[in-house]
Amino acid sequence: MRKLSLLTLAMLGATVATSPAFADGDLKIVDTPLELTIHMHWPRAQGYGVGGTASEIYPVEEAARAMTGISLTDATVGSNTTDSNEAMNLLIAQGDMPDIVGGHLIKQPVNEFGPQGAFVPLNELVAEHAPNIQAFWDSHPEVLASITAFDGNYYYIPYLPDGKYGRAWFIRQDWLDSLGLEQPQNVEELEATLVAFRDNDPNGNGEKDEVPYFARQWEEVNRLLTLWDARSSGSDTYHDFYIQDDKSIAHPYAQDSYRDGIANIARWYAEGLIDAEIFTRGSSSRDYLLSENLGGLTHDWFASTSGYNGKLADKVEGFNFIPFLPPASPSGVRMEEHRRIPVKPDGWAISHTNENLVETIKYFDFWFTEQGRLLSNFGVEGKTWNMIDGQPVFTDAVLNADAAVNSQMYLEGAQIQRGYWQDYRYEWQWTAQAAREGIELYDTEDLLVEQFLGVAFTKEEQAVYDRYWPSMRTYMLERNQAWILGTGDVKADWDDYIKTLNKMGYEKIIDVINSAYTRQYG
Amino acid sequence: MSGVSLQGLVKTYGDIQVVHGIDLEVQEKEFVVLVGPSGCGKSTTLRMIAGLEEISDGDLSIDGRFVNNVAPKDRDVAMVFQNYALYPHLNVAENIAFGLRIRRESKAVIDASIKEVGEILGLTPYLGRRPADLSGGQRQRVAMGRAIVRRPKVFLFDEPLSNLDAKLRTQMRAEIKRLHNRLGVTSIYVTHDQVEAMTLADRIVVMHDGRIEQTGTPMELFLNPVNTFVAGFLGSPPMNMINARIESGDNGPIARFGELSLALVDTPTMRDAIGTDITLGIRPEFVTVSTQADTHGTIPVDVELIETLGSEALIHATLQGEPFIIRAGTVGQMDVLNGISGFSVEPNLIRVFDAKTGMALPDQVMKQ
Amino acid sequence: MTAGTSKLISRQKPTRLARITQHLKREWQLYLMLLPTVIWLLVFLYKPMYGLQIAFKDYSVFRGVAGSPWIGFEHFHILFENDQFLRALKNTVIMSAYGLLFGFPIPILLALMFNEVLNQFFKKTAQTIVYLPHFISSVIIAGIVITSFSPSAGIVNTILGWFGVDSIYFLTKPEWFRPIFIGTGIWQEAGFQSIVYLAAIAGVSPTLYESAVVDGANRWQMMWKITIPSIMTTIIIMLIIRIGNILEISFEMIILLYQPATYETADVVNTFIYRQGLQGGQYDFAAAAGLFNAVVAFILVMTANTISKRYSRTSLW
Repeated sequence: MRKLSLLTLAMLGATVATSPAFADGDLKIVDTPLELTIHMHWPRAQGYGVGGTASEIYPVEEAARAMTGISLTDATVGSNTTDSNEAMNLLIAQGDMPDIVGGHLIKQPVNEFGPQGAFVPLNELVAEHAPNIQAFWDSHPEVLASITAFDGNYYYIPYLPDGKYGRAWFIRQDWLDSLGLEQPQNVEELEATLVAFRDNDPNGNGEKDEVPYFARQWEEVNRLLTLWDARSSGSDTYHDFYIQDDKSIAHPYAQDSYRDGIANIARWYAEGLIDAEIFTRGSSSRDYLLSENLGGLTHDWFASTSGYNGKLADKVEGFNFIPFLPPASPSGVRMEEHRRIPVKPDGWAISHTNENLVETIKYFDFWFTEQGRLLSNFGVEGKTWNMIDGQPVFTDAVLNADAAVNSQMYLEGAQIQRGYWQDYRYEWQWTAQAAREGIELYDTEDLLVEQFLGVAFTKEEQAVYDRYWPSMRTYMLERNQAWILGTGDVKADWDDYIKTLNKMGYEKIIDVINSAYTRQYG
Repeated sequence: MSGVSLQGLVKTYGDIQVVHGIDLEVQEKEFVVLVGPSGCGKSTTLRMIAGLEEISDGDLSIDGRFVNNVAPKDRDVAMVFQNYALYPHLNVAENIAFGLRIRRESKAVIDASIKEVGEILGLTPYLGRRPADLSGGQRQRVAMGRAIVRRPKVFLFDEPLSNLDAKLRTQMRAEIKRLHNRLGVTSIYVTHDQVEAMTLADRIVVMHDGRIEQTGTPMELFLNPVNTFVAGFLGSPPMNMINARIESGDNGPIARFGELSLALVDTPTMRDAIGTDITLGIRPEFVTVSTQADTHGTIPVDVELIETLGSEALIHATLQGEPFIIRAGTVGQMDVLNGISGFSVEPNLIRVFDAKTGMALPDQVMKQ
Repeated sequence: MTAGTSKLISRQKPTRLARITQHLKREWQLYLMLLPTVIWLLVFLYKPMYGLQIAFKDYSVFRGVAGSPWIGFEHFHILFENDQFLRALKNTVIMSAYGLLFGFPIPILLALMFNEVLNQFFKKTAQTIVYLPHFISSVIIAGIVITSFSPSAGIVNTILGWFGVDSIYFLTKPEWFRPIFIGTGIWQEAGFQSIVYLAAIAGVSPTLYESAVVDGANRWQMMWKITIPSIMTTIIIMLIIRIGNILEISFEMIILLYQPATYETADVVNTFIYRQGLQGGQYDFAAAAGLFNAVVAFILVMTANTISKRYSRTSLW
């Protein structure tokens, strides 16, 4: 009871300050309690309830009920599979849809089946009844464009991640120190550094067993392309299309810069600067190569890679694996190609069976109010966090628990894949010091490039894309690996390669993707 | 001298001894039948001769050669199995030739042998067929053909006819006998069927619980069984057994059972045995049917059932509450049989056994 | 008149319906026992066949099977126009043929070898060891394979190193993929597949062997002349079944072991479909490819069965 009144007080303060919709300070949407059903399928839980168990109500849901008067009850289909795509297909195929359909990877199905009538278009509803969401769109038009279906409507409210950086370049600073080297600032220095790692026995065991560059995903080898002014992807998906010269969409693997970049990568691979087993070493390679004191440099996630300094402090003497700025390309560009995507294909949508459209969109909007956002990010105030000096701060119990903060939040009902706007303050509080320093370092330069957020095709465009793209992608990757492994010479093969791409429909794909892009992003 | 000699042959499985020392001399060309109830060790003995079972103790010689440790193939024996052991994927000719092929005989020899065996056994029309397309009797013949073709010193038969129906069995029995007469190969034949034993054997070896009970020609064994086991095992229907005591009668020893008595042969042995508990063995065939129960020497019986078999009839009766079977001719006798009230039997047709040991009293010899 | 006659006849001889009713009344227990199987067949095998029509439709999950428009053979047309599909088809056939050639006889050999082992302890131990890989998940098997063939630490390259051979990055070499994949399959499944042959061998009458022993056959001859012919029916049935599954390459294992660098020899129909389907639930397209697979497999089984029926008198049906 006391908690509730505290909340109400906090709400009053917050809404007055930021939320025009609730100028009267009331988050209540309905006077008589309204119950809506929800399908919520995502990797951490296959159902709307703690750990996917419908009968265990999330504390966040309890709080939301108290605030809005709307309660969600679980109607998730496919709780026996963790494959959200499969669950969605099951749901649509059986026809009996709950009021709200949410969870992982819903963008593609809602954009395909929304125009067919399965989901309610949200444009007008949001404009009329959801001022907070509308405010977000107004300030992030490219995000709205990215989720819009080919018919110009949008059908879901996405999960909107916050924070900029994902992966970063990491180097064994202690190796540099022992060899008397500085952090490499450009690609030439980087090559010299990798050669030194290879030849000068930085791990001091007398053997030439160092692996200068390694990666957990073989695709990361293509990230080296950015060192030679080429690109490997336009989004956080590998081998994706990218925005060329701020105006049109192209594929990075069909550019001349790619040819030159791959030639260099192949040379590095042949010279042993890149892990010879990069294609098969797999996800444990980082663990293995770091703990065995073999790996020198990688490109990997800030958070998880920073953790090794603590983990290996006892095992490898002087171990110091830290982020450094992306080395500059020959043309002087420092690029961190990977970044967090600002909008996810996850979130929630309103199904055609919903009879309370206005209430539902108001409910969606609730999560974009100051109070809703705090609730969806940090959990219930007073339970998992407190407001200190105007900042939400997790309790010591949360920060010092054995389980990671995000895992704890998932059980509270916060940070789950409803349509919500993530608050980076949530993650910063439990980010390791080394990673924070790295992020601050990366913030000193303009490293990030514009993301390609995807397009929604018309049926005809989709058919063209489906027909040509998978095969072309296969062909590109085959050539990519062959060149790196040295079973082909990229410079000699290049003309044939481009010819083959054209024969396989490169122009057609680029046409449909650009027409969709123009329609969508204007 | 392709005889087989068994001396103290023993078979043990672990701690259990199943054959307790068999002594047997099989003469060249002789047809010896090992007979006994199941589990008596007859098959085990045969398999030891074949080399399929190791000999635990004792000596085995074939054709004068000590063969305990000789591999089956080198013993020069051929065996016919109860379930024929035909190879289902080979046709009759190939089955017959199997042993020869294994021994890498020339094609000419093989072809000639198949032809010959085919003719001997009447299999010529079926040489191209698979076993699955043959009748039981034909399969049995093929199995024998496989043995014959090898021209071994000794034939071993392990209940070869038990999978056939009664009529076919009779027919095949005769065929085996003819074959033996024709080929004259030493044969050892195992069966539990005393009729087969009686009809086929030159000499029968009756086995019981891993021991030989008695060895002899069929008639010897039929007429003069050494003990109640042999007496009961051979003959169909089996010998009637009556518990009695030897007493002194008016005209010499008599066997008394209840108020009834039967005269026994008056020999010194019998007289010496007065007062002994005995078992009387009376073959169903050896009694004379009587219609007048009160005549002297006639033993009254209560008739329960008369089975008419054609030229003979089996009379199922009880004597003092125990079953008693009489076998009698029917031709011109049906009136007598229908009016039967008792039987009489000649003293020299009664076999007297010691009730305690089951052994026949000495000095009783029935002439063939 | 006609009516009268028919009435008369029907009185003499019960109508068809009456006879069926009578029959059902008498044998209803048998039909009751049959019922679960029939229902199972209908629900799990025949009902899904209804869905096969999406191979000829522009399928939308939302519209359903019936509501999606017909487009004829367009999916098949696209399929056969694609060089990569044709390559995958070729790889599938080659890989299956090699798999059959090397993978089929080995379980038989194993069973024959086990049958010859007399020491029970040794036999049981050896059997357990060869059965074991079957029970290990593909992911772990693939991990073992990748580690074994690793150029730096793998046992294979270590052994090659003893003979002065430079280490080979096997899993990125198209020419090595098939041997490795087929070898892995044999290692994983041969032991378990040998069980059916061991069972068949156990069913051979022991007197066949005794008879052969008396006839003078040695163990080698008994194996060739008795054991193998006796289990030939089982071998042929297994062969027909294998041929029926010829296009069902162990897709999971390929996904785990292949690389774009080895697609040239490793990409099979199923992996091709998998990659195509990744682009947003192309169920209709996948159904078309699957249907093609099934038709080919059916033709193969029919052919094998007919040949076997004619020449060896053994057949599945």
